[in-house]
Amino acid sequence: MNRLLATVAAAAVLGLASGAWAQETIKIGVSGPFTGGSSSMGVSMRDGVRLAADEINAAGGVNGKKIELVERDEQAKNEVGVQVAQELINKEKVIATVGYINTGVALASQRFYQEAQIPVLNNVATGTQITKQFEPPENKYNYVFRFSANDTIQSAMIVDEAIGRSKFTKPAILADSTNYGQLGRADLEAALAKKGVKPVAVEKFNIGDTDMTPQLLRAKEGGADVVLTYGIGPELAQIANGMAKLGWKVPLVGSWTLSMASFIDTAGPNGDGARMPQTFIEDATTPKRKAFIDAYHKKFGGDKMPSPVSAAQGYDSLYVLKAALEQAKSTEGPKIREALENLNTKVEGVVQTYDKPFNAKDHDAVSYNVPVFGLVKGGRVVYANEDDKKNPVRSKSGTGGVAPQ
Amino acid sequence: MQILLQLIASGVAVGMIYAAIAFGYQLTFATSKTLNFGQGEALMLGALVGLSLTSWLGYWAMLPLVLLFGFVQGAIVERLGVRPSIKIKSEFGWIMATIALGIIFKNLAEIVWGREALPFPSPLPTDAYVLGGVRILPVELLIVVGALGMMLAVEFFNRKSIWGKAVRATANDRDAAGLMGINTSQIITLSYAVSSMTAALAGVLVAPRITAIDANLGAVLGLKAFAVAIIGGLESGLGVIVGGIILGVAETMTGYYISTGYKDVPGLVLLLLVLMVKPSGLFGKATIKKV
Repeated sequence: MNRLLATVAAAAVLGLASGAWAQETIKIGVSGPFTGGSSSMGVSMRDGVRLAADEINAAGGVNGKKIELVERDEQAKNEVGVQVAQELINKEKVIATVGYINTGVALASQRFYQEAQIPVLNNVATGTQITKQFEPPENKYNYVFRFSANDTIQSAMIVDEAIGRSKFTKPAILADSTNYGQLGRADLEAALAKKGVKPVAVEKFNIGDTDMTPQLLRAKEGGADVVLTYGIGPELAQIANGMAKLGWKVPLVGSWTLSMASFIDTAGPNGDGARMPQTFIEDATTPKRKAFIDAYHKKFGGDKMPSPVSAAQGYDSLYVLKAALEQAKSTEGPKIREALENLNTKVEGVVQTYDKPFNAKDHDAVSYNVPVFGLVKGGRVVYANEDDKKNPVRSKSGTGGVAPQ
Repeated sequence: MQILLQLIASGVAVGMIYAAIAFGYQLTFATSKTLNFGQGEALMLGALVGLSLTSWLGYWAMLPLVLLFGFVQGAIVERLGVRPSIKIKSEFGWIMATIALGIIFKNLAEIVWGREALPFPSPLPTDAYVLGGVRILPVELLIVVGALGMMLAVEFFNRKSIWGKAVRATANDRDAAGLMGINTSQIITLSYAVSSMTAALAGVLVAPRITAIDANLGAVLGLKAFAVAIIGGLESGLGVIVGGIILGVAETMTGYYISTGYKDVPGLVLLLLVLMVKPSGLFGKATIKKV
């Protein structure tokens, strides 16, 4: 009898102890590609998240508890992303996860969070369907949130910049053969059709293609006066270098991947002048942004972020999550989701001021008016339009994720 | 007309890359009737080693070291992957062994150089030459001249040097060569070493044209070069050059005149046609295998 009592007592003490241990930190998952072709974006995102976590912990944490980041490299591979999601949910017992650079990985992995009712905050991936995967009414609640500008917004912005603002009339579209490129191409064609413009050439290339001569010659012979791109860094650099080879210089306007280090570094001077939508540009236009940029370089070195957009969106996602946790006063998934959907406090971020960023129907924090155009100049991305500098602090207006008609 | 010439010029430059790699397939097939399916990885390793050496030696001075590296790497492949299966007269062992070694080399490269694409600095000016309206990059000329020079050098070695004569004798009849006192297994090692050496050189020739290289560089190129070797014929050095140019030009022409989405189709159709009509390749000699 005594032995039984002792066992029960020991079990109770152990249980309490482990319970108390679990109370000390709040575990947040970070899932992204920290190695491989997307790693410049993944590492910048992670560093942005780390910086925010350190700042929050230094200021006393969330609800009196410190944040503990559980970082996992999913290598931009769908199957690894799925494993990471299961590990973070079942083994690490995270209360939420931030991350995802690649749309495919996000779509494959986030169903586990949806089933476990744990919020997942996409801070870089841009595929339009990411926040639509578990939309009501098919699902009672949607646990997927997003901090990036989705492809529908980006393609509308690209067309507005090229056709509307810059008055080009003969666009050529060059897109890679992946899902990312082909969905983007379809969005671009739809946005052009709305303006009554038909592209003079719609060309495709494969990942790893070493010669863009046929694609570029077709665009050139079609009389294109601007090239719209949907692809990733190395092949975009092949396009810029191929244009220089053919002695054909028309402006490049494309999705935000034109800000990838692998494009800017590989294309060198040939990439100068390329324009792309950006939610954040590494320029100290506000005190908040200056503090963020300085703190980032103090902590991680260098004088240029590999992917400023990823770093800023990663940084902001953690602060918005913190606000939701404080409002929910709980770490239960459904309560965090509810708080995110009805956020009472305004969160001043580096991308925008988050004033009711989400509601039950709309899980995109970035609306059409938030991103600005960036321009590649001397190896960096700068503001394409000086006017955007004068009006730096933006906030979501209307519905996120839908371009104006 | 100008567009046609431009397409041909770009196609030839791409095709010579394929030819340079396919030439390596042909070298080992001649002596041992085996192929190194890790040829693409040998090219990738050559390019990455070249990149590391370029930073402190410069492009031209690193070339001999890359050749030496390729030579040693090929010999290792033969010793580890091919010799054991030749010894036991295994028909297919070398296929799996060279594929496996290729995968190992690729993973090693990912560990050493990371998985991020690395920019390869151009050793030549990046402004295109204009010849009669056709624009060609200096690095494209480098590929054509370098690949042709390398193939001529190997042919010269095979025809004139005593080692080369032993290689040709082994290629003609391995058993008879052995009876004449030629150490044929050493000759097979040599042919693998030279084969990987040519691939490594092809790697550093093509890297400045591709501009950003990573461990996946060899995958597509190795496969296309294999198609070239089949089209041209595994027995013929001239065949791989013609095969490479045919495939390269077919790709750029289809891309321009039909659709860039179907760029890779004609090469594969051509491969199937050759296999149906002339299985030994356009320049291959039909051999009768006596059992």
